[in-house]
Amino acid sequence: MPRNAALQVETAAAVAAPLISVRSLTVDFFTARGRFTALHGISFDVRPGSVLGIVGESGSGKSVTALAMMRLLPDHTARITGGQILFQGTDLAHAAERDLRRLRGRDMAMIFQDPTTSLNPIFSIGHQLREGLALHLGLGRAAADRRAEELLALVRISSPRACLAKFPHELSGGMRQRVMIAIALACNPKLLIADEPTTALDVTTQAQILELLRDLQGELGMAIILITHDLGVVAEFADEVQVMYAGRIVERAPVADIFAVPSHPYTGGLLHSMPSLEEEDPALLPTIAGMVASPFAMPPGCAFHPRCHLAGADCTRAVPPLARVGAGHDSACIRTAHV
Amino acid sequence: MTAVDGVSFDIARGETLALVGESGCGKTTTGRMLVRLVEPDAGTMAFDGMDMATLTAGELRGLRQRMQLIFQDPGSAFNPRMNVATLIAEPMRLAGYPPAEQRARVAELLPLVGLAPEYAERFPHEFSGGQRQRIGIARALALRPDFIVCDEPVSALDVSVQAQVINLLTELQRQFGLTYLFISHDLRVVRHVATRIAVMYLGRIVETAPKAALYATPRHPYTRALLSAVPSHRPGVARTRLADIGEIASADAIPSGCRFHTRCPHAIALCREKDPELTTIGDGHEAACHRLDDLAA
Repeated sequence: MPRNAALQVETAAAVAAPLISVRSLTVDFFTARGRFTALHGISFDVRPGSVLGIVGESGSGKSVTALAMMRLLPDHTARITGGQILFQGTDLAHAAERDLRRLRGRDMAMIFQDPTTSLNPIFSIGHQLREGLALHLGLGRAAADRRAEELLALVRISSPRACLAKFPHELSGGMRQRVMIAIALACNPKLLIADEPTTALDVTTQAQILELLRDLQGELGMAIILITHDLGVVAEFADEVQVMYAGRIVERAPVADIFAVPSHPYTGGLLHSMPSLEEEDPALLPTIAGMVASPFAMPPGCAFHPRCHLAGADCTRAVPPLARVGAGHDSACIRTAHV
Repeated sequence: MTAVDGVSFDIARGETLALVGESGCGKTTTGRMLVRLVEPDAGTMAFDGMDMATLTAGELRGLRQRMQLIFQDPGSAFNPRMNVATLIAEPMRLAGYPPAEQRARVAELLPLVGLAPEYAERFPHEFSGGQRQRIGIARALALRPDFIVCDEPVSALDVSVQAQVINLLTELQRQFGLTYLFISHDLRVVRHVATRIAVMYLGRIVETAPKAALYATPRHPYTRALLSAVPSHRPGVARTRLADIGEIASADAIPSGCRFHTRCPHAIALCREKDPELTTIGDGHEAACHRLDDLAA
């Protein structure tokens, strides 16, 4: 596989350099109710070939981060108002649509939660796969057909040739997500952003899709940003995790450390409130009080303080910055020592 | 199409029977039949010792009030033009309770489900998912039921809110001696709330057991697959890799013999031919599989 060999050389040369660097990324939304900030200047890197898990609940900004990185935010309601997204020498935050179109689907690709709405119901699977292959790689019909069949085999579809002729409605949810993954991988992207890729699927299908993604990541060496609300999915799959709350990163760490030594009260609260599969829980589960504040009425200081059992007056004064608490482990909490 | 096929189970007073399985297994239809939102084609149902088939329409209406339903997304079930007080009181209004009694009950219910009294005048769209589920629970409680079918009550909620609603259901059960049928695909949540568990696959119960036995010694290959598919919260601890077992067959093309045989790694010729019956394998533990002896824990 010459493509893989080339990839290895590239990876070796860029061992320390991030594949993509997000710097002070700020996104504002403009709605009927007014303007609010969905992302407050977040910064992070993704290393080549690594898996970054982004965990958060509704309103945390995890999906906005993904859409901003792909420059797929809805034009009329959302805008990148600050920061940079540096990818292969280009600042995606300020790139022209023409350059973005060249990158999207080729060097970076995305899969979404609901494969049903991402596939076009009136075109065959083969047609939808060939489209990207023709656009980005300039393949003719025969070559594109061959490659499309290879891709369906890659995502473990048992009769790939027959599948090419099928239409989305003829496939199960899991098969559709496999097709979406095949389309995303068509041009060997260096970065795959997966936004809740298994949330809409049944448990056994979810496990099979995650296993597929993990295998493919090993085989193809791409980096993955995995966005999820499910800490279990992250535990299985990510190398590094960042936890988001109300438009900010509140903690990031190697995956083992997030579970072993959570250092932000929100992370600790999330971990404890999940019922265990292995042990008997107390009759009442530990909970995080209250709910996420409205983006139109963010509390002053740390956005989590109204729900935090450790909060004091000092937590309302300023937004705590991410600070180093261990090797590769940062937490944005002034009481992190008490967590 | 047969969505639920010859399912039998009991739920004891005050316990929580969890019905688990993947989409299309018939768990929601089963729940709706119990509260008579779906009429079964065959079979009998008894509630509190009364055979429901023998009751008069009036008796059935009375009984129906003692059984309520909580949905996954209560928001979609609410009339957006009704305020919270009207929504919660609606079952009482339909049952003919006087307005004063309805108001008094709403005032009682709001704090019970953790909602502030001033929310009574607000409308559903002003609330978060967790709060809407609390409204749904208050509405289900309005007629003081004995039995509540909870259909995926926390699946649509954020993780930090899920635990709050689970705890609320636990506390209400304790306080009022409620009996729950808890329908869920989430084996973590089920392990926390259930007394007993019934696993459904394509319209059949394939295994039923007290909670401890089901999680410690699952016997049906499908139960085992479901359990091994749940991601662990221990990074680095490799989960047993789930064999490529494909997806649930379509309910309009039920496989012959054991319905799971098309996905079962242990299927033999017999499994294609003969439908296995539920067999007792322990105290309250039953499974329907031809290979139970060969696959013993």
